[in-house]
Amino acid sequence: MDRLRVIGPVAELEIFTPGTPEEALAAIRAAPEGEVAVLAGGTDLLADLEEERSRARRIVSLRRLPWRTLDWTGPSLSIGSTLPLRALELDPGVRSRLPGLYEAVHAVGSVPLRHRATLGGNLARSAPASDLIPVLLALDAEVELFAAAGVRRLSVDRFVRASRVTAIAPGELIRSIRIPEARPSAFRWQRVRLANDISQLAVAVALSPSDRRWRVAVGGIPPRAIRLAEAATALGTGAPAEAAVRRAGEIAARAVPLVADRRASEEYRRRLIGTLLARAVASALLPREGVG
Amino acid sequence: MTERRLVLTVNGLAASLADVPAGERLLDTLRWRLGLKGTKEGCRTGGCGACTVLVDGESSLSCLTLTHEVDGCAVTTIEAIASDPVGRSVRDAFEREGALQCGYCTPGFVVALTGLLKERGRSAPLEELLDGLQGNLCRCTGYVAIARAVRAAREATA
Ligand code: FES
Ligand code: FES
Repeated sequence: MDRLRVIGPVAELEIFTPGTPEEALAAIRAAPEGEVAVLAGGTDLLADLEEERSRARRIVSLRRLPWRTLDWTGPSLSIGSTLPLRALELDPGVRSRLPGLYEAVHAVGSVPLRHRATLGGNLARSAPASDLIPVLLALDAEVELFAAAGVRRLSVDRFVRASRVTAIAPGELIRSIRIPEARPSAFRWQRVRLANDISQLAVAVALSPSDRRWRVAVGGIPPRAIRLAEAATALGTGAPAEAAVRRAGEIAARAVPLVADRRASEEYRRRLIGTLLARAVASALLPREGVG
Repeated sequence: MTERRLVLTVNGLAASLADVPAGERLLDTLRWRLGLKGTKEGCRTGGCGACTVLVDGESSLSCLTLTHEVDGCAVTTIEAIASDPVGRSVRDAFEREGALQCGYCTPGFVVALTGLLKERGRSAPLEELLDGLQGNLCRCTGYVAIARAVRAAREATA
């Protein structure tokens, strides 16, 4: 007779709640690599623990670190890595000056989930289905990494490597995410269910007021969300003509590696790209108070 | 550190808990340690909203919250929601509108809506409230009556 597998009890876990970034790094360093999990909002980590996808024996919680911040400095925004997404969503400046970011944050999970989930956690996790990474790409966001030796900055494009793989080094923590300027922007997605679902495909666009050029990024694709420079160029500078939007959509549909899975067929995803791109561009061009 | 004592305020009362395993979820602490069975477990993975409680006044999914993470916080569950005037209006609205069938999802809806009304204040548009409840599922297809209750609760607290 087959034996039942005996699962190690969750009680074997230990949790640390350091009060400073230095203590957090020390608590991480003290555990063997692969056996320590950093806890921000926990909305993914707890599901991993529940389904035994995590081998973590030690949890290091970041909740006492002073990183729940939101700072506007002129046109640029710095978002503390452990700020709950809900605080970002409810900030009037985010809604009016970075509408694409607002829309993407609003698309994550549900209100109670967003009270805990964080931008830092989403980036550290770097899931291909992340609704936040495409818009961070379109906004040219930078990740600020904290280490004992100092701080380094990396574009989100270079930080996100592949599905669940990032450029974070051992001994580093994400301290904040910086967005250089307010931009007309939009995020459009397609799903089966409105909330608590994973996007079949998502498109983020942003128009930089400083160089008048567009940024286009597509998410919901393996292994990671990508920027589409050619499609962005096809949109030209400023408000594009209808034909340019269509051409950008065609270029994007060709450039993106798509797969079929249980959420959608490859063909359906390919068609979605142009549609979502057109909707996003139209939305980004809607007049809004305080943008630019 | 795992062995340390946690002190939570649950429904206005101090709860001092020793030896809470690091991986224990608030949902299980509430239901099995504190006997507060009003908070329901639906999916346990953040997908249904049945386990919603208030943590320091903000709606949170207790299935995705470690009990250690709410050390020092005030937790409000469905059992005490009516001791808050907004919570009472919400509960009464659900009752008056008959916004439930089996009732399994109801604690989650009532707590989540109470949290939203408190967070967004009187001026929150109805659409925003309904949108804010997208994460709460009802398998008995009671959404029409639930939407009526949301409208009634909004008017009662305005
Ligand atoms: S049980 Fe927590 S969201 Fe379903
Ligand atoms: S009333 Fe039965 S699940 Fe909602």
